[in-house]
Amino acid sequence: MAMNIFRQEFKMHVRTVITWSLGLTALIVLIVSLFSSFAQDAALLTEMLDNFPEQLLAAFGMTGVDLATILGYFSLAFLFIQIFLALQAANYGFGMVSVEEREWTADFLLTKPVGRTSILTSKLLAALCALAITDVVVWVVSYACIMLVKGDAAVDTGTLLLLLASIVPFQLFFLAVGLVVSLLVKRIRSVTPYAMALGFGMYVLSAFGDMLGESALEKITPFKHFSANYIIQHEAYDWPLVLISVAVIVLSMVGSYLLYARRDIPSAV
Amino acid sequence: MNIFVRELKSNLRSLIIWSVIVVLFVTIGISKFSAYYENPEMLALLDSMPPALLEAFSFGAFNLTTITGFYGVMFTYFALMLSIAAAMWGSDIISKEERDKTVEFSLTLPVTRSRLVTAKALAALVNCIVLLLVTLAASLVSAAQYQPGSEFFGFLRLCMVALFIMQLIFLAIGIFLGCAMKRYKRASAVAVALLLGTYFLSVLSGLNKNLDFLKYLTPFKYFDPGLLLRESRLDLLYVGLSLAIILASMIGAYLTYSRRDLYI
Repeated sequence: MAMNIFRQEFKMHVRTVITWSLGLTALIVLIVSLFSSFAQDAALLTEMLDNFPEQLLAAFGMTGVDLATILGYFSLAFLFIQIFLALQAANYGFGMVSVEEREWTADFLLTKPVGRTSILTSKLLAALCALAITDVVVWVVSYACIMLVKGDAAVDTGTLLLLLASIVPFQLFFLAVGLVVSLLVKRIRSVTPYAMALGFGMYVLSAFGDMLGESALEKITPFKHFSANYIIQHEAYDWPLVLISVAVIVLSMVGSYLLYARRDIPSAV
Repeated sequence: MNIFVRELKSNLRSLIIWSVIVVLFVTIGISKFSAYYENPEMLALLDSMPPALLEAFSFGAFNLTTITGFYGVMFTYFALMLSIAAAMWGSDIISKEERDKTVEFSLTLPVTRSRLVTAKALAALVNCIVLLLVTLAASLVSAAQYQPGSEFFGFLRLCMVALFIMQLIFLAIGIFLGCAMKRYKRASAVAVALLLGTYFLSVLSGLNKNLDFLKYLTPFKYFDPGLLLRESRLDLLYVGLSLAIILASMIGAYLTYSRRDLYI
């Protein structure tokens, strides 16, 4: 790892980390603060949801969730948080290497006395640090908000921590897939459409998979691998699906190193 | 004219991708409708749902057992998709010149900057219209199997007008951002952030009565499909507001681009 590359990369991430963290904080505070207006309908709600059409509930990820409890309510909100986290991670993944080629700085960087592997490692670590900071912000804000709002009700802290911890591999998935895709294609002109396609596409896949009851789709999308419902209901991860995520992450990382080591770099002239 | 043609060509691939996505979405969505079609059990359940929940997902006032009601629920998703496309096209069509380092070339052509913006805006507008027509065609084809009545067609027409206005809003905002943002890289990111932010506001404003005022801030609330269905008219206040946003953005775009310092 080259320390100066790491520092430069991290500096480039600082601004986006702040924006994403602020955005996520606002999101969590807003959603959790609305819990009280939901809780008023609580008795009605629980009664309702019992005899509800399965497809409708599934479409909004509400199967087997007790919305009257703060944790159940939070699991609904968690989906929104996941979308934002996915977009952030995908953005970093797609941008990490492609930015050098887009701005013609790749040939400058590669003439430095640093191996390609070490360049990629530094860049990856910088992105990981940026993601880790965001994750810590999400953890602290979510935990604080839930503890403030819950009132006298008991909250299963273990499950909550399990749920919050899941965002780390969740983000890694999008980072790794974004990175490997950016190395597979010839050139990425703009990062946003790619990141939107990956992040939103996976979300839509999971929503459609729910509605159509197609379990094959579950195998692909991390929104299913780390489904808040499953975690809260079973108080554990859905290990076979989580392992798929882990496998994808490992494969993408290895693939990225291999591809980057022998990538043909276009130069400005 | 040649700039216009050139832009149409370079956006063709993106238009095709979006069209495929929209067609897939419409077909899968409407095929899902078979589960709700004329299902009285479902209706009884919907009647007993808590209002907050219904509002949150704009299920209010919809009878999901008819194709019209079902289409009303789908409307929000169409609006979201078409707006994303419009915002991306709008912001990208201006800012890509700087990203691809072609802006120097474009601006040495014997055309004024405002004509350049006009040609680009028109090309993006044509893309939006084509995508809207694709949505319309896909909806008509996949709804045909349920033999919709005249009520459905009336509603569909209103929906399309509403979708078109929303496309225009986000297209104009996108173009404005593309023209005004000093850092060209930011333009499309800001456009998308704005869009997701306003969408999220629209979900929030439905959750709680105290947040009702938010509806003026988010175009996703301007055309409530429930109102379109019940009163079969657009709310003129919001049409006016939309036009104001579009006009302001376009004027802002021309003004800022004509005096903009370019990043070369």
